[in-house]
Amino acid sequence: MIRLVTLAGYAVIVAAAIGLEIAARRRGGASFGDALAVVLRPWPARLVVVAAWLWLGWHLFVRVDSG
Amino acid sequence: MPGDDRPPARWLAAIALVAVYGWWAVGLTPFSWEATVAIVGAGLAAVGWAVWRRDRADTRTRSVAGVTLGSARARRSGLVPWVLLAAAAAVWQLAAYVQHPRDDHPTLSSLANAALESHAARTAAFVVWLVTTVALVRR
Repeated sequence: MIRLVTLAGYAVIVAAAIGLEIAARRRGGASFGDALAVVLRPWPARLVVVAAWLWLGWHLFVRVDSG
Repeated sequence: MPGDDRPPARWLAAIALVAVYGWWAVGLTPFSWEATVAIVGAGLAAVGWAVWRRDRADTRTRSVAGVTLGSARARRSGLVPWVLLAAAAAVWQLAAYVQHPRDDHPTLSSLANAALESHAARTAAFVVWLVTTVALVRR
C-alpha cells in the first residue's frame, strides 16, 4: 500500500509535467525547453547541469550490477 | 541531433555505432575502472564533440534559435510552475530516499534499476543518455 502511494506520487508529478508542457504549447507559456534554456544560460549553471548529467550516467550504467 | 542539418542516414549510422559501443560498455563489470572510463569517457567525448560543433555553428543563428527566443518566451511567471514541480519531485524523491524498506519507498534510482535490468534496455538508455548529453551542451 505504501509502495503504491509512493508510486502514485511519482505518477502525479509526471502527469503534472506533461500537463504543464501541453498547456504551455497551447497557450504560449514557458515550456520545459524554455525553462531549461533559462537554467542553462549562465555557463556555471550549465557546467553543474552537465556534470550532474554525467554523474547520472555513471550512477545508472556503472554503479549498478547488470548481472 | 537537434538543430543539425546532416542527412538522417548518417545520424542513424552514428546512433547504431553508439548502440554497439553502448552494448559493450553497459556490460562491463560494475564499479570497475573499465566501466567508469567507458561510460564517463563516452559522456566527456560527447560533451567535447558537442562543444566543438557548437563553436562551429553560426553564433547569431544559435542565439536566435536556442537562447534568445527561448528565454524571451519563458517569462518569469511562466517558470514558477516548473520550479514548483521540480521542488515537489525533489521533496518526494528525498522523502522516499530517507525511508525504508526500499520496496515500500522506491526512489527514482531503484525504479530505474528495475526498468534497466535487461541488457537491451540498458543499451537503449545509454544511447538516450548520450544523445541528451549532446543536446544539453549544444542547447
